[in-house]
Amino acid sequence: MSDPLAIFDLLLAVAIVALALATLSVRDLFAAIVLFVVFGLLSALAWVRLSAPDVALAEAAIGTGVTGALLLKTLHHLRHVTGTPERAAMRGMTPGAPVPMPVIWANAAFCGLIALGLAVAFLGAPAAGPGFDALVAEAMPRSGVEHPVTAVLLNFRAYDTLMEVVVLLAAVIAVWQIERGLSEAPAPVLGEVFEGFARLTLPAIVVLGTYLLWKGAEAPGGAFQGGAVLAAVGLLLLLARLYVPQPSHRPLARWAFVLGTGAFAAVALLVTGGGRVAFEYPAEHAKTLILLIEGVVTISIAVTLAALFHGREPVAMAPGEAPAASRSGEARDAG
Amino acid sequence: MTPDAMSLALFVPLFGAIAAFVLPRAASVIGLVAVLATCSAVAWLAREVMAEGSMTVALGGWAPPLGIALRADGLSVAMLAMTGAVGLLVSLGALDALRDARQRQYFWPLWLLLLTGMNGVYLSTDIFNLYVMIEVIALAAVGLTVLSGTRAAVQAGLEYMYASILGALLFLLGVGFVYLEAGRLDFAGLIAAEPSAGLSAALALMVVGLLLKTALFPLHFWLPAAHANATAPASALLSGLVVKAALYIFLRLTTYMPLPDEIVITLIGALGAGAVLWGGVQALRAERLKMLVAWSTVVQIGLIFIAFARAGQVGLSESWKAAALLILAHGVAKAGMFLAAGRIRTEVGHDIIADLDRSAIRPTLAQFTFALAAISLIGLPPSLGFIGKWSLMEGAMAAGYWHWVVVTMIGTLMSVAYFSRVFAGFLRFDRMKGELAEHKGWAIADVAPLTLAFAAITLGLMAAPILSFIELGYPFGAVP
Repeated sequence: MSDPLAIFDLLLAVAIVALALATLSVRDLFAAIVLFVVFGLLSALAWVRLSAPDVALAEAAIGTGVTGALLLKTLHHLRHVTGTPERAAMRGMTPGAPVPMPVIWANAAFCGLIALGLAVAFLGAPAAGPGFDALVAEAMPRSGVEHPVTAVLLNFRAYDTLMEVVVLLAAVIAVWQIERGLSEAPAPVLGEVFEGFARLTLPAIVVLGTYLLWKGAEAPGGAFQGGAVLAAVGLLLLLARLYVPQPSHRPLARWAFVLGTGAFAAVALLVTGGGRVAFEYPAEHAKTLILLIEGVVTISIAVTLAALFHGREPVAMAPGEAPAASRSGEARDAG
Repeated sequence: MTPDAMSLALFVPLFGAIAAFVLPRAASVIGLVAVLATCSAVAWLAREVMAEGSMTVALGGWAPPLGIALRADGLSVAMLAMTGAVGLLVSLGALDALRDARQRQYFWPLWLLLLTGMNGVYLSTDIFNLYVMIEVIALAAVGLTVLSGTRAAVQAGLEYMYASILGALLFLLGVGFVYLEAGRLDFAGLIAAEPSAGLSAALALMVVGLLLKTALFPLHFWLPAAHANATAPASALLSGLVVKAALYIFLRLTTYMPLPDEIVITLIGALGAGAVLWGGVQALRAERLKMLVAWSTVVQIGLIFIAFARAGQVGLSESWKAAALLILAHGVAKAGMFLAAGRIRTEVGHDIIADLDRSAIRPTLAQFTFALAAISLIGLPPSLGFIGKWSLMEGAMAAGYWHWVVVTMIGTLMSVAYFSRVFAGFLRFDRMKGELAEHKGWAIADVAPLTLAFAAITLGLMAAPILSFIELGYPFGAVP
């Protein structure tokens, strides 16, 4: 126990497990979200200690930042919808029936089995598996980039990455589709502090996000991390009402959502021919193409995450369609 | 630009989805063209596979295990063809079934993304890639589930999403541990891996995730509500096609993992038997037509797992064919049946089984379609369902596993009973009020379900060519 880093690691591990337990056991949803965000930040730190800075950046930006914002927004909306028993009754909502004991026991048995499987898999796993390290190192010179993680994500296994971007596209289409003229919770009143904060931080975030994207070619960073940081710009703009989504903006938003997927897939397909298969970038253009793909994918990820935070397709609402309780929020939306 | 057939089967629906999303007014036209073009790519691929036996493309020019290879053999092309053909007919049905502009606008991009994901699963040779693909399928499928916009559908969709994400996470956890054990993610790496308790546990996690996604009893809890409350074309896609993706992965994985022992196979068969019996009872009790059809999916999934387990470990190298036949038969028949149920509901105005015989409106053609699809699902000759059930029982009898024969027979009798409830509603006229309007409801929209139901029957006559086709490239036990 003389190594200070070992003590730090031990404290970190204990804190992460304790925070996870606290997140699950606390009754107040707001407290649970705050604990979850702290849990995410410490997990990001753990990834750094495990020498996985790319994962740490992704965990901090997406797993904690954007997810935390989404959870808080959902909680705000939930409290607006089911805030008081009268309002819940007005909307014809019944409190959920208690889960029968046999179901609870069956679930517990199922979870126990899963935990057993996890334990066996964990205890049986070698401490350091063989992995792809040697293969990646050997193929690096032909990848067009200097950072191994970027080489894997955008070249060796670019097909997986394209499909992950497709997952995000499917998510935003599904979310837009669910919108049925439901009213949005009225936006909270923002103080002067927030506006000042937004003015100060917005330019810094834009620079930071672009830097993360640019550095991705040779150092940790890249499209997903950069996109998530840039999405924070969208979140701040939406929260500060500096930008209010309008029905007329929909075509542009649709193009922004599909830009990354479309360009990525188009490049993958256009490079075929002359003995090359899909995703096989010509060696001399590999770096250019990878940077191009990362750039457009970053834009799409940023816009998509911000749209997921907004949570609805901005549709024109006929007067009287919105429930009276939230008309004020709608009026502000339209104005 | 000269892409190969496999890449086209992935990229055509993807570009179709993008185009249908950014040009919502032309979504139907774009969607139909994209599905047709995907079918052409699959047909081209089928020709190549028939000539070559199997095809492999290492994407990006990076050979596995570093890169990801696409591989097509008889089984995967059969799944692609079933998905494409059923999808095309359901698309035609959707043209009429989706009356709401908003539904039409969102159905096509979601369905084309679903098609991309399913084609990706059938061509994949990499377990991490399979994880990404089942995530694409899951999100698109949840979007389709809630397309009808009713409160019940949104609630069922949320439950479906929880189950689906939990299943995918279990699968991913398993993939992580397999990577740690074997150091690779491709199928060939799974074959080469040293068998160990840790590897078995990792594979078990993946299988449990898949069973949750394919809704094998007792992990079926999310399926009936999700499939019954979606709009008819979405139900047809979800029940006929989506659950098959996880089933297919399960079938493939059993090829590449250290062979499961007798106890595990018997357990899987026992869960299948539970699905057949429990699903049968629930279908007998169902009040609504679509709910009955959804419970029949739970039964059929159970039957497919019994087919897998019919002859134990020794017979596994033959049993997968019986399972594959049942998968194809159910995909075609169930899509037709859900579309027909949707037509009946549209024409009659409700789908309460007990009140079907009170209605003066009898959409005869849709009812006929429903009965044809039921013939295949019950397993009457000469349908494809009959061939599948027959090869299940034949194998079980040859291996001396009579208990599987008994369960299958009980399941068949129960399916006759619950479908008869519906037929009685179609054919009784004595409780009817008002003038009979028998011919009301013959519509061009009946063409798609009728074609599907008719195909479920006639494909049984082509069982021999289908069987020899799915064996092309030795899907079971071949190193990719």
